[in-house]
Amino acid sequence: MSANGTIDSPDDGNLIAAEYVLGVLSAAERREVERRLARERALASEVALWEERLTGLTDAVVPVAPPDAVWSRIERAIGTGPRAPSVWQSLTFWRSFAIASATLAAASIAALVYVGLVPGARVPLMATLSGSAGQPNFVASVTATGNTLVIVPAALLTNDPRAYELWLIPTGETRPRSLGLIQPGQPIRLDIPSDLAGRVTPDATLAVSLEPPGGSPTGLPTGPVVAAGKLTNM
Amino acid sequence: MRVVQSKAIRRGISGMDAEPSRSQLATALMRVAAGDDAALRMVYQDTSAKLFGVCLRILNDKSEAEDVLQDVYVTVWRKAADFDPGRASPITWLVAIARNRAIDRLRSWAVTRRTEPIEAADAVSDPAPAAVERVELAQQQKRLARCLEQLEAQHSAAIRAAFLDGATYEELAQRMNVPLGTMKSWIRRGLLKLRACLEG
Repeated sequence: MSANGTIDSPDDGNLIAAEYVLGVLSAAERREVERRLARERALASEVALWEERLTGLTDAVVPVAPPDAVWSRIERAIGTGPRAPSVWQSLTFWRSFAIASATLAAASIAALVYVGLVPGARVPLMATLSGSAGQPNFVASVTATGNTLVIVPAALLTNDPRAYELWLIPTGETRPRSLGLIQPGQPIRLDIPSDLAGRVTPDATLAVSLEPPGGSPTGLPTGPVVAAGKLTNM
Repeated sequence: MRVVQSKAIRRGISGMDAEPSRSQLATALMRVAAGDDAALRMVYQDTSAKLFGVCLRILNDKSEAEDVLQDVYVTVWRKAADFDPGRASPITWLVAIARNRAIDRLRSWAVTRRTEPIEAADAVSDPAPAAVERVELAQQQKRLARCLEQLEAQHSAAIRAAFLDGATYEELAQRMNVPLGTMKSWIRRGLLKLRACLEG
């Protein structure tokens, strides 16, 4: 397409990912590649491969500590961003949530909280597990005893053949602990292993990642995180 | 304009001493995806000196690089859930965001502000990676270095300059004083050979 033959000439077609990663393309050519990346998985994989191959070149670059003011600016920028963490306290959230996902999501929460998937139990901790765009994908609740967790899909996720695995990242810890596999299409009740029960606390994080059938082979998440959220007191 | 000061360099390197392992960084990104700003702070502390260096190298302007760096971490905050640990290492993912932002900023400037040739690689010792991955990382770096050595000197110099400076084919041709077609063929042949070597 481009006049200088950088893109789309058959011989070089397989190098466009490398040229994009290398950074030799013009602004217009970069936008063109990015448009294709959104829909061509093979090209996206090729770009990821080249990034992995070439990233070591940056080891030749001298690290330079940025001025402190940069972090302050980042804090201000994310403080006003769309990803407010206290989403549960937001009336706007509940309104738009109820309206926008009236069918599945509202029904899920109603079922979860009132109909008694957790019979006779108080529901002290809940989490909304959101995707990258901030949309709620799962809602989870933990019983008062802290040894049972119910997780309900709050949105229709795209049909991915991979397994959905639920992880707990206890407060102050860095290693995710698997809580087991869940279903994107139906509520699931999980027993929390006794060694983890005490660590299912407010501010602990729940996350769902995509894993090979049967779950992560390594005991740590290996695939993309499709939803994550913090447990909070109701 | 020479923006890199030796004091800042020393600070930057010492700041990297506690570089977290790949899995720690991946977990931190997972927490960032959950809206944990303390985790973002951790990612920033552990990676900002490297990413700022990368941005400075491409933009050669401190204030522009600071703007881009801010943009990079705001992007990390919003897009952390897109990070796929099965596909990329956390540092590769972060470097890619930083380079892409910096290159886009560079392209948005009207004409090349920088025409003087820049040496491809500053000889500076690497920041210390976490012990767990040091061996694996060292092997990867060695292989990349070995494969680059096998290229013709001009090809590998062009590839390094392109990657580190974000220069277009046109700018590289000007800098190295060769026709545009020659530069394209150097880089493309170099890339093909590099891929074959890395996969071999």
